[in-house]
Amino acid sequence: MSKKFQNKTSWKNQYSEHDFRSNNSGERRLNFKPNNKHNKNKGNNKDWSHAVRVHFNDEDIDMGFIAGPSKSGNKFNRKGHRSGSPVPKPMKRKLWEGPGGWYKVVLPYGNKYDKQFLQQTLLEKVSPLSFMPIFWKATGNVATFYLDDFKVAQKLQELDYGFQMPDGFKLLIKVHPGSPNVDISQEMKEKMKLAMANRYNAVNKALDLTKFHADPMLQEYFCALYKPIILIAVIDIIGENIPELEALSLNDNKIQILSFLKKYSEKLKNVKILHLGQNKIRDITMLDSLIGLPLVELLLDGNPLCDKFKDQSLYISEIRTRFPKIMKLDGIELPPPISFDLEEEQTLPTSLQTFLCNAEGGAIVRQFLEQYFQLFDSDNRQMLLQAYHENALFSMTMAYPYGTKDKNSNWLHWYSTDNRNIIRVTDSERRFKLLKKGNVSIISFLKEMPMSNHDIMNFKVDLTVFTPIMMSLTVAGMFKELKSGHKQPPIRSFLRTLIIVPAGSGYCITNDELHITNATEDQVKTFKSTPLPPPAIIVTSPSISSPVAPAVVPVVPVANAIDDATKQQMVQALATSSGMNLEWSAKCLQETEWNFERATLVFNEVHKQGGIPAEAFVK
Amino acid sequence: MDVSLRSKVDQACRVAEEFTKLYYEAADKRRHLISRLYLDTGLLTWNGNGVMGNERIQKFYMDLPPTDHTLNTLDAQPILDEAVNGQLTYLIQVSGTVKYQEKVPKTFQQNFIVTAEGGKWKIVSDCFRLQEPITEKS
Repeated sequence: MSKKFQNKTSWKNQYSEHDFRSNNSGERRLNFKPNNKHNKNKGNNKDWSHAVRVHFNDEDIDMGFIAGPSKSGNKFNRKGHRSGSPVPKPMKRKLWEGPGGWYKVVLPYGNKYDKQFLQQTLLEKVSPLSFMPIFWKATGNVATFYLDDFKVAQKLQELDYGFQMPDGFKLLIKVHPGSPNVDISQEMKEKMKLAMANRYNAVNKALDLTKFHADPMLQEYFCALYKPIILIAVIDIIGENIPELEALSLNDNKIQILSFLKKYSEKLKNVKILHLGQNKIRDITMLDSLIGLPLVELLLDGNPLCDKFKDQSLYISEIRTRFPKIMKLDGIELPPPISFDLEEEQTLPTSLQTFLCNAEGGAIVRQFLEQYFQLFDSDNRQMLLQAYHENALFSMTMAYPYGTKDKNSNWLHWYSTDNRNIIRVTDSERRFKLLKKGNVSIISFLKEMPMSNHDIMNFKVDLTVFTPIMMSLTVAGMFKELKSGHKQPPIRSFLRTLIIVPAGSGYCITNDELHITNATEDQVKTFKSTPLPPPAIIVTSPSISSPVAPAVVPVVPVANAIDDATKQQMVQALATSSGMNLEWSAKCLQETEWNFERATLVFNEVHKQGGIPAEAFVK
Repeated sequence: MDVSLRSKVDQACRVAEEFTKLYYEAADKRRHLISRLYLDTGLLTWNGNGVMGNERIQKFYMDLPPTDHTLNTLDAQPILDEAVNGQLTYLIQVSGTVKYQEKVPKTFQQNFIVTAEGGKWKIVSDCFRLQEPITEKS
């Protein structure tokens, strides 16, 4: 930290000197000599001491100098004096290879020149090396940018005050290790998404983020994956957009730390191939945060951690402890691991959406559910009265799903009052009271429940009993809870068991047990609002001639979403039930805004008072 | 108040408590005995996979990874006589979490139709669903 400070101080000196450009530069240069304190600091920092040593070795300088801070300052600037050196200027500050691998370049008067011209000039000067200036910024006269290449950084450092610009001034170039603090704006996240989309191969489910920061689309940002905040943002984007991702390359991104990924690795749960080559990961334990990923291929070549292993088999075994299924490591096929037969992974059977114990029952079930939930989702649940046996029983339980008890979950308060969870409710009187008994009391409860929109297409249905006298039906799925005072309509998950018996020409429910919980994040992603359709009843089986119970009642959809076909049906239905002709039935429905229940009510009342003219009944 | 209904409801709750205790203990620790809880013709539907007959159910259970169930809610009702010809039958519904092989718990819901046969409570139908998105259309 104090090093940064030191550098700043020395630039300050430079800037002020720059104002006196006519002065002899040879003397002023002395000021740029790094302070002796520099080396003291370096010595204290373990990560840095290595880099320092490398430099001393490069220059064939006795290692003993490290201990002598007063001398090393001088030695450090001696390169310029050595025979054969291409840079004749003395006292050049030596650039150190920072641990992060990032370099900040400051051009104190850079913004006096055209940006493109300046970039072009620098590119020519460092040739045959090349670079891409990242996160270029100009404030006042000063232009800054970042570099990911030590050699280029060194070269630029050497070019400091080394060549003349067209205006006659020599360009000042200050280089030091470092990277900016980053915030991720919405705009930046959008750009990242685009860049990732460009780099995604949907066929192979592979995302190549090699040298992500150098992506031409991201050059104006500092989008370096070695910053945890950026890597987390990238993983979030993966989780939201391509959860099916199987292969991910993070090669050459100067990544050092992975330990913070533990919470996020769930979003990479399908990744089988992971490339982390040419990064700066120092220790194998950094990979612990990725344990649980089903990796079969891993590339770590080019990371400091690889050099720690003298014994290749130890390296393989350390990797396999963490990722037992690895078959390919650093490009080399591994022999299959030897395991015990008992340890064989037992997998769960694949889930199926529908089970029908009787194929014939399928059509009845589908029709019943469509009609039931259309009415349930309408603003007229009263119509479900006929769907229940007069002595029917109904009860409800609720619970939060595992792992979502945090503050962000949508509270299930409404349902808790009537939660008949007999693990908690031990009093037999209360158990009895919480049971809704009889169709009238059930309907009055159903009417109180929040409005809903069920995702009918995604229902999971199990028909487990189908005999002439009884059906047992289990429905699980999701609904959107409407108008219940939440900012965002919450998505709930439910499972409902219905015992159904034949009644008259249709069916009715004798027992109904409902469990309500919140949908999990994964479930919410698959939720589709079912538009309230006209009662398009898909009856494929010709054997179904008798309508199920609610079918005798016309469906009443939400008022503002009624199409003409439905209106026609409602007019027909009202004409049948009221005895009025079609014209008057339509008029009555129009005036009640196509609310069937209200239309019926209004008709009954007005008719009772003799308010409907005889012509209304003329057909 | 319907006295006979009241006592039926009480009994349904008591049976549900006792039954679920035995059932999940068998499922988690004594799977080789689980077939005894089903009627010979009992049916298990596990996430949409139907298994008919207590012996097949036993085998299906033996092939599942080790489980550890925890119950959160329990509910029970007597099924109306009309549906079951007056035979004493209960509808039991459960929710909770289940761990497979020490992995992260998954939320599940399950229901049972349990009937009295030969002085024992037996499962007619056992329907299990994990709370998860649909993976495969069937």
